[in-house]
Amino acid sequence: MKKTSVYSFLLFIFLLVIWEISSKSYSELVLPAPSVIVLTLVDGLLNGYFTQHIQRTAAEVILGLFFGGAAGFTVGVLMGEVAFLRKLLFPYIIASQAVPKLALAPLFILWFGFGMTSKVVITALVCFFPLLENTVTAIQLSDIQKQELFKMLGATRLQTLIHLKIPSGMLGILAGLRVSVVLAIVGAVVGEFIGGSEGLGALIIATQAMMDTALMFATLILLTIFGMILYLTVSWLEKMWMKRLKKEI
Amino acid sequence: MSFLVMEDVTYSYEQGKNQILRGISWEINKGEFHCLLGKSGCGKTTLLKLAAGLLSSENGSIRLQGKEIIKPLPNCSFVFQTPTLLEWKTVIENVLLPIKLKRKIRSEDMEQAMEYLELVGLASYRDCYPLQLSGGQQSRVALARALMQKPSLLFLDEPFAALDAITREELQDDLLRMCYMHNITVLFITHDIAEAVYLSDRVAVMAHGEIVYQTPIMLERPRRMEMRYEPYFNELCFTLRQVMNGERL
Repeated sequence: MKKTSVYSFLLFIFLLVIWEISSKSYSELVLPAPSVIVLTLVDGLLNGYFTQHIQRTAAEVILGLFFGGAAGFTVGVLMGEVAFLRKLLFPYIIASQAVPKLALAPLFILWFGFGMTSKVVITALVCFFPLLENTVTAIQLSDIQKQELFKMLGATRLQTLIHLKIPSGMLGILAGLRVSVVLAIVGAVVGEFIGGSEGLGALIIATQAMMDTALMFATLILLTIFGMILYLTVSWLEKMWMKRLKKEI
Repeated sequence: MSFLVMEDVTYSYEQGKNQILRGISWEINKGEFHCLLGKSGCGKTTLLKLAAGLLSSENGSIRLQGKEIIKPLPNCSFVFQTPTLLEWKTVIENVLLPIKLKRKIRSEDMEQAMEYLELVGLASYRDCYPLQLSGGQQSRVALARALMQKPSLLFLDEPFAALDAITREELQDDLLRMCYMHNITVLFITHDIAEAVYLSDRVAVMAHGEIVYQTPIMLERPRRMEMRYEPYFNELCFTLRQVMNGERL
């Protein structure tokens, strides 16, 4: 395992070197060299140029993730548990799945303005569905014999939900969350593309207009790092949960 | 007076059609250990679930100490085919589950749970997670959990079917000891003839939704390993085997 991670790192270095060399033959406008990008990035971070944009995007992503995730989880649990709701709402869920949610961004900007609200709404909307679907499935999949056990023990419906169905579906729910966090960033950035003067997405549009390609790449790196942090956080949560389910600690 | 009485119990999955159980009558006295023996698909699990109140019969009645069973009772425990432990809870938390669903856990509950774990020889595993245990150990935890309800009536649905022969015999002895200590009445389901004979005071053979044969087992208690090799034991097994083949009715 360790060896492969060394190779993977070497590959990264190799790709960087190729990029560095090939960038010499292009204009900096088309393909800036990695060294230039890193300089721009460090410079921007040190003089605080990125700070407000990072804060803005982070706030949008986290708020959107919170509201979208909470709603997706709650509705998912309800739909998983109550067959009537599931049958009632499923056609709508399927229909709304088919709508490209990001294409609604202009509409939300029309409704909620150019401020942060519209971006939070877009982000929440794209986070909502993966978590909803995984939660609905996970809640329904719990073991029948264990459900009978809870019946035997005289557990209420709520107790069965809290002590059996949600924990037993936790891995599925977390898998949904993992998809949600990645989509959250896409949602926020696209929202900022369309209307906004602050945030990393708005910055990308601005760098395009300014023809500052190095700054654009630097912003992309920031977004990638942000996405990775969120993704790794969920992976860590999964790992903590898995620890209990594995044979050895 | 009989402890558990079943009278003319009939059950079918589709109303009127496809009868699983046909007019079954059976009685168990307090403190007795009864086995229902039958091939898979003969309706024995259905009968057990009816007796436990997990299903309700369409005809006939099932009474515990004169009271009709319509839902699972708090003084009845059920041990399932699989151990049905909650993988995300430790061994001790699993044993305490029946209490936790009713009220807050007190220190005497903790002591009681430890005592039962001691009884099945797993006291040192209290903080392990179920998947860290072997199949036999998991079944033992499930037994300890069933005892935690302080049942006067215990239902077991082929609880040892997935275990190897030696472990199964050890667990049979554990079970008999526990039931004797707490004066528990037992209805046990199995397709293993030797298991039925070794454990029971009375064995009934089921086929096609009916009880086709029954016999008392005249072995003294406590049962010992040597008894398994006595001529009387083997004769009984042979008779039951023939009955199950439909050769002797």
